[in-house]
Amino acid sequence: MMTHKERFLATLANAPVDRPASWLGLPVPAAQQGLFSHFGVNSIDALKLLLDDDIYPLEVPYHYPPSNHIACAFKFAKVNHDDTPDERTLTAPGFFEDYEDPADVDKFDWPDPARYIDRNEAAAMAKAIDEKYARMGVMWSAHFQDACSAFGMEKALMVMLMNPEMFTAVIDKITAFYLRANEIYYEATRGYLDAVLIGNDFGSQNGLMVDPDSLRTMVFPGTKLLVDQAKSYGLKVIHHSCGSIYPIIDDLIELGVDAIHPIQALAKDMDAPTLKAAFGGKTAFCGGVDAQHLLVHGTPQQVEDKVHELKELFPTGLIISPSHEAILPDIPPANVQALFNALTI
Amino acid sequence: MNTQLIEQIFTCVEFGKINEASPYPATMKGQPGSDELTKLALEQGYDPNVILYDALIASMNKVGQKFSENKIFVPQMLLSAKSMSAAMAHLKPYFSSGAVKRKGTFIVGTVFGDLHDIGKNLLSMMVEGAGWEVVDLGVDVKTEKFIETLKLYPDAVVGISALLTTTMVNIPQVITAIREVSPATKVIVGGAPLSADFAKSVGADGYGRDPQEGVQWLDKLAS
Repeated sequence: MMTHKERFLATLANAPVDRPASWLGLPVPAAQQGLFSHFGVNSIDALKLLLDDDIYPLEVPYHYPPSNHIACAFKFAKVNHDDTPDERTLTAPGFFEDYEDPADVDKFDWPDPARYIDRNEAAAMAKAIDEKYARMGVMWSAHFQDACSAFGMEKALMVMLMNPEMFTAVIDKITAFYLRANEIYYEATRGYLDAVLIGNDFGSQNGLMVDPDSLRTMVFPGTKLLVDQAKSYGLKVIHHSCGSIYPIIDDLIELGVDAIHPIQALAKDMDAPTLKAAFGGKTAFCGGVDAQHLLVHGTPQQVEDKVHELKELFPTGLIISPSHEAILPDIPPANVQALFNALTI
Repeated sequence: MNTQLIEQIFTCVEFGKINEASPYPATMKGQPGSDELTKLALEQGYDPNVILYDALIASMNKVGQKFSENKIFVPQMLLSAKSMSAAMAHLKPYFSSGAVKRKGTFIVGTVFGDLHDIGKNLLSMMVEGAGWEVVDLGVDVKTEKFIETLKLYPDAVVGISALLTTTMVNIPQVITAIREVSPATKVIVGGAPLSADFAKSVGADGYGRDPQEGVQWLDKLAS
């Protein structure tokens, strides 16, 4: 029988596995109590142990109030909001809304991640996890999304076309922040981390939000730096993007990512058979169990049937997981149980 | 009267050329945009209805179609909408005087509990570009706000958006409240996790998979 880590690595390599690798995802606090009650446990750790889950996600200890979350490291928004990952806004007017000269990029008070990442806490958190797990740093490093919030999303998307030098100046500063933050984290956790999750949402339900050429010119150079940095520490890279991203999957493969997450199954061209036909063996995937309809409204039997379908399509090369990392409270715990039951039967 | 200016305004909107100062698209740099050309067309005595229907609405319809087919993307669509708005600003006096009539009023908002607005904003732009007056209530819109606004615009059509599975379930409450005060009001719903089946199950009259579908549904109502 393989260890969690062996199964994870074999899946990424499209090599044979004893059973499909899995990832529970990140249940939001409002969903956790229901899961705990259903499974008779009192912690996420106990739940993961019970489900025999393969990936252990590690958050970056980032102490910058009020969110204390690295995904909220930049205060670009000109409006008051709660500044938590769920409440942050990409569309509110941002600091750079009225700036046009790339030289003005330094007018923003760019944070120094060294001030807010607790190296000792990061090391302790990683060392505390059983090394048999695939230990995955949840870095996000969402340089494109942050660039959107830097201007306000609609303005940012127009700036990409009207003033690409300005957009590039801002996204490059954001990328530099994440490269520094990740360096600190990777150094602190060296030897105790196996993979990282990075990414941005590039897709909507029906297609890409931004044309592939603009992504290739202005966004993927930063992605490349982030991927290469992780690789230089021997880490596997899981790249996240919600939505329909079929036209850029080859780009992500070219950029060196090891797996693409979360394959939003109901988005255009993101169903498992289509992805298998186009990219099977060229990369690995993570996700695939639809969280927009099936996990919310389906029966446990339907969830099991879907997992069996996925297993048949992807005997390896797919980490089976909900198609949205944040398990929301509207997913019945019985369906989560069905997902994991079907992995081994 | 020749139609050259109408064709030029159409092209400006299609490719997002706002005004002469705008650097986009590069192939039209230094040329007048929809802003200047619409002003010129009105000065030359073009019928504002022709400008609205043959240039702006027709062009935005083409933009919506291209967006729906993934031939253009959100940035291009936003610039087309900006170009359309620059032209529309010159038509405002004609709307006020009644010389130009809109197809109707569309009240739109993201359902309460949901803070997402990109899809809703794109729909608003497309609907405005299709010749409707849009009353955009923003995000996290309470049921009472929809009702209050509907009282101000009793003939309006209502659009409700949601991005999350956890917030789409709030839509039926809004529809029920609308039915109680105004049974004849038409309601369309949309958003990533929604479907035609969901729309039907909650008593909505219409469902839009994307902005273009929403516009087509509204235009059928107006025709």
